[in-house]
Amino acid sequence: MRRSALTALLVLALLVVPASAQAAPRIVALTPFGANTLAKLGVKPVAVGQTLGGRERISPKLKGVPVLTLSHPNGPNLEQLASLEPDIVLSSPTWAKGNESMGDLGIEVMIREPRRLQESYSQTLAIGKLVGKAKAAKELVGQIKKQVARARRDIESEPRVMVILGVGRTPFVFLPNSWGGDLITKAGGELLTGGVESDSGFERISDEVVVAENPDVIIAVPHAEEDDIPSLAEYLRTNPAWAGTNAVENNRIYISVDNSLLQAGTDVARTIRKVRRSYLDNWPG
Amino acid sequence: MSAHGPASHQVSVSLRRPLVYGALIVALAAAVVASLALGAVKVPVSVVIDTLLGKEVTGPERQIVETLRLPRTAEALAVGAALGVAGAILQGALANPLASPDVIGVTGGAGFGAILIIILFPGSIALLPIGALAFGLFAAALVFAIAWSGANRGSTGKVILAGIAVLSLFTAGTTGLLAAYPEKAPSAIFFIAGGLTSSGWEEMQAIWPYFAVGFVAAALLIRPLDRLALGDDVAASLGSRPHLIRLGAAIAAALLAAASAAIAGLVGFLGLVVPHVVRMAGGTSSHTFVVPASALGGAALLAAADTLARTLRAPIEMPVGPFMAILGVPLFLWLLRKVV
Amino acid sequence: MSPAPIQAAPAQLEAERVEVEIGGAPILRGADLSLECGELVAVVGPNGAGKSTFVRAISGLQPFSAGAVRWSGRVLPGLRGRELARLRAFVPQRMPVPSGVLVREAVTIGRSSHLRPLRRLQGEDRKAIEAALERAGVGAFAERPLTTLSGGELQRVQIAIGLAQEAPVLIADEPTSQLDLGAAVGIATLLRGLADEGLAVLLVVHDLALATAVADRVVVVAEGKTVATGSPTEVLTSERLAEIWGADARLTAEEGRTALQVAWLPGGVRAA
Repeated sequence: MRRSALTALLVLALLVVPASAQAAPRIVALTPFGANTLAKLGVKPVAVGQTLGGRERISPKLKGVPVLTLSHPNGPNLEQLASLEPDIVLSSPTWAKGNESMGDLGIEVMIREPRRLQESYSQTLAIGKLVGKAKAAKELVGQIKKQVARARRDIESEPRVMVILGVGRTPFVFLPNSWGGDLITKAGGELLTGGVESDSGFERISDEVVVAENPDVIIAVPHAEEDDIPSLAEYLRTNPAWAGTNAVENNRIYISVDNSLLQAGTDVARTIRKVRRSYLDNWPG
Repeated sequence: MSAHGPASHQVSVSLRRPLVYGALIVALAAAVVASLALGAVKVPVSVVIDTLLGKEVTGPERQIVETLRLPRTAEALAVGAALGVAGAILQGALANPLASPDVIGVTGGAGFGAILIIILFPGSIALLPIGALAFGLFAAALVFAIAWSGANRGSTGKVILAGIAVLSLFTAGTTGLLAAYPEKAPSAIFFIAGGLTSSGWEEMQAIWPYFAVGFVAAALLIRPLDRLALGDDVAASLGSRPHLIRLGAAIAAALLAAASAAIAGLVGFLGLVVPHVVRMAGGTSSHTFVVPASALGGAALLAAADTLARTLRAPIEMPVGPFMAILGVPLFLWLLRKVV
Repeated sequence: MSPAPIQAAPAQLEAERVEVEIGGAPILRGADLSLECGELVAVVGPNGAGKSTFVRAISGLQPFSAGAVRWSGRVLPGLRGRELARLRAFVPQRMPVPSGVLVREAVTIGRSSHLRPLRRLQGEDRKAIEAALERAGVGAFAERPLTTLSGGELQRVQIAIGLAQEAPVLIADEPTSQLDLGAAVGIATLLRGLADEGLAVLLVVHDLALATAVADRVVVVAEGKTVATGSPTEVLTSERLAEIWGADARLTAEEGRTALQVAWLPGGVRAA
C-alpha cells in the first residue's frame, strides 16, 4: 500500500518537475534593469541587449549570455531575435518600432524600464512573477528598500540641484519623472526644473534658465558617441554660459559618465550613496 | 544624310528591347531570391523554398522567412517599382531628364510629415506612414496648385520651379524640427536616410491602394506621354490635352512617391537614375518600353540594395541609399560611356 | 491609300468670322475660310497678321472668342479630342525632337488616336502606318532615330505622323520656312500630290511664289481679318502686294515655274 502511494507520488513529482521547467519562459532582456533584475533573481535570460557603443552595465552573473546589439529604429536585429525563439522580451519605449514587429512575430513585449524608484519596485515584482519567483522578488524588493533607506539616512542639507543632459551641445533638464531626477530627489537634492514639464521626463531648456535658477550643484550627463564623450564632458564642465551660477563659482559642477542616472539599474542604493557623497556632499562624516 | 546600314541596325534594334527585358527579369529574380535567402540569420535555401510552397516547416526559420523577409521583399519590390515608374513618367511629362519624384515636392513633404509624427506622437509608430503619406500628398497638391494656375499653367518650367520652392519649404521645416528636437534625431535619421524595416504586412495592407491606383494611372498614361514627347502641338493634333497629361502624370507620380515614402522613408536616386539606365540600355525613349522596364529595374535595384544593407554589417542594418548608389552608379557610368 | 473623294458632302471645313483674343489683346478680328476635299488652300499674309493664330483656332489648338468653325458640318467646340483627330491632322512648324525615338515609332504615335487605351496595334493600324511612311517618302529611313534627320527629312516625318491619323484634312503651319530650296521643293511636291489624291490641304506659307505654285486658292489675312480669297493670280496682284505687304513686287508664272519679282531697292537694282 505504502509502496504504491510512494510510486504515485514519484510519478506525480516526475510529471510536475518537467512541467514547471516547461513553465519557465524564454526571456530576452533588452534593458539593463530587466537583465540585472533577472540576474539577481537567479534567472539567466536567453539573451541580453546592448546598444551600439553603449555603456550599459550588465551584471557579471550574466557573463556568457549572448548579447544582441541594439540600434535604431528596431532595437535588436529581428531575425536574430526570432531565431532565439523567445516567449517574452523585456524592452524599452525607445524601440517602439521594434516592439511592434516583435508583437507580429508572436513575442510578448513588456516594457521594463522604470523611471521612478517606486516603479522599479513594482516592475521588479512583475518580473519575479513572470519567472515564477514571486517570493524571491518580494524578498529582493524588501532588501533594496532597506538598502535605500540606509542610503537615505541623516540627510542634513538639501542643496539645490540641476541635473542636465547634454545632447550634443543642447541642454536638457532631468525632470522629477525621470530616473535620474527621482534619484537626486531621493538623495536629498532639491531638483530644479526651470518650471518645465514633459511626459518623457526630459525637456529642453535654455542656458538662461540655468543661470536664473542659480543651482548650488550642477550634475552634467554627456550623451554622445563613445569617442565624443571626453570632449563633450570638457565642454559641459567649462561651459561659459553657466559661469554666473553658484555651482560653477563654488566648483560644484560634476560630470556623470556612467549610465547610472540615465537608465534604471538594480544597484539603486549604491547610486544614491554616490550621488550624496560625490555630488551633493550631504553624506554624514 | 545617308542611312546607316538599315538592315543591321534594324536587327539590333528589334533584338535590343527583348534582351533588356530578359536581363531585367533575371536581375529581378536574382534579387528576390537573395532577399529571401540572405539575412542576419542563416536560413538554408531549402527551408526558404519549403516555406514559400506552404509546406510544414517548424522552427524560427519559417517565421524569419514568412514574417520578416517576405513582407520586406514585397515592400522592396513595390517601392522600387513605384519610384522607377514615377521617375519615368515625370521625365516624360516634364520633358526634363533631371525630373524625379523629388521635383514635385513629395519627398520633402513626406519627410516633414514623418518627423512631425515622431515628435508629436512618439508612442504611436503606426501613424508614421500615414503622416508621411498625408504630407507627401499635401506637398504635391501645393505644387499642383501653384503650377496649374495663372499664366502658362501646367508648363514644364512652372512645375519644376513650384516643385523646388515647395521642396525647399518642407526641407527647411524638417531641418528646423530636428534642430528643435535633437534627441529625436536618431529615430528620424533612419527615415531620412531611407530604408525598409522588417515590420510585417501591416504597412503594406494600409498603403497598397495608393500603389495600385498610381500604377494603373501610370499604365494609362503611357500612350499620352508618347504623344506629348512629340510636342504639345502634335499631342493636341492627336486629341490630347497637354496640360492635363502633365497633371495626370504628376498626380500618379505623387501617389507612387508618397506611398513609397510612407513605407521606406526618403529613398532618392532611384527615381532619377533608373529610367535613364533603362533608356540607354534599350536605346529608346518610348514610354511603352521605359515605364515597365523602369518598374522592373527599380524593383530589382531596391531589393538587391536592401539585401546588402541588412547583411553586410549584420546584425546592424544600414540605410539603403548608399547601396543603391554603389550598385547603380557604375552601371549608369558604363552605359553613359557606351552610348554617348 | 488615297481616301476616296467625298461627294455631295458639306465642305470639309467652314470657318466664319472667327475672333481670337490672347492676353486681352485682339489678335484675330473676324476671319473666314472654307475648304473642300482635293483642294489646297494657302493662307498668306504679313508677319503678325494672325495667320498662324487663325489656323490654330480652326484646328482646335487655340480657343476662339467669337465666330463659328464647322468640321464636316459639326461644330468645333462640340468635338472631342479623338473625333477631331480623325477629322484633321495638324502638322506644326517644328516639333521637338526627342532622343531615342525612331521614325517608325513617331509615326506609330501618330496612329494613337485610332487606338483604344491599352489596346495593341491591329493589322489595319500597321497598314496605315506603312502607307503613311511610304506616301511621305520616309520609308527608306524608317528605322533611324529622329535626332539623325535633316530638316527636310524631319518635315516629311511630321507629315507622315499627320498622315497616320488618316484624316481627310491635313493642316501644315509653315512647313517650308526653315528648309533649303531642295527640301522645300520636295515638300511642295508632296503636299500638292496629297491634294491631287483627294486630301484637303490647308497651308500657312510665307513664300508667295510657293503659294502661287501649289495652291488652288489663296486666303490673305491682314491685321486680323481675311481681306481676300480666290485663285493665286486673282488675289496676289501687284496692287494687293503693295497694299498688304507694302512692297513693290509682281508674281509671275511661266514654264512651270513661279517667281516673285521684287524691287528690293528704290531706284532699281544696281548694275552687276
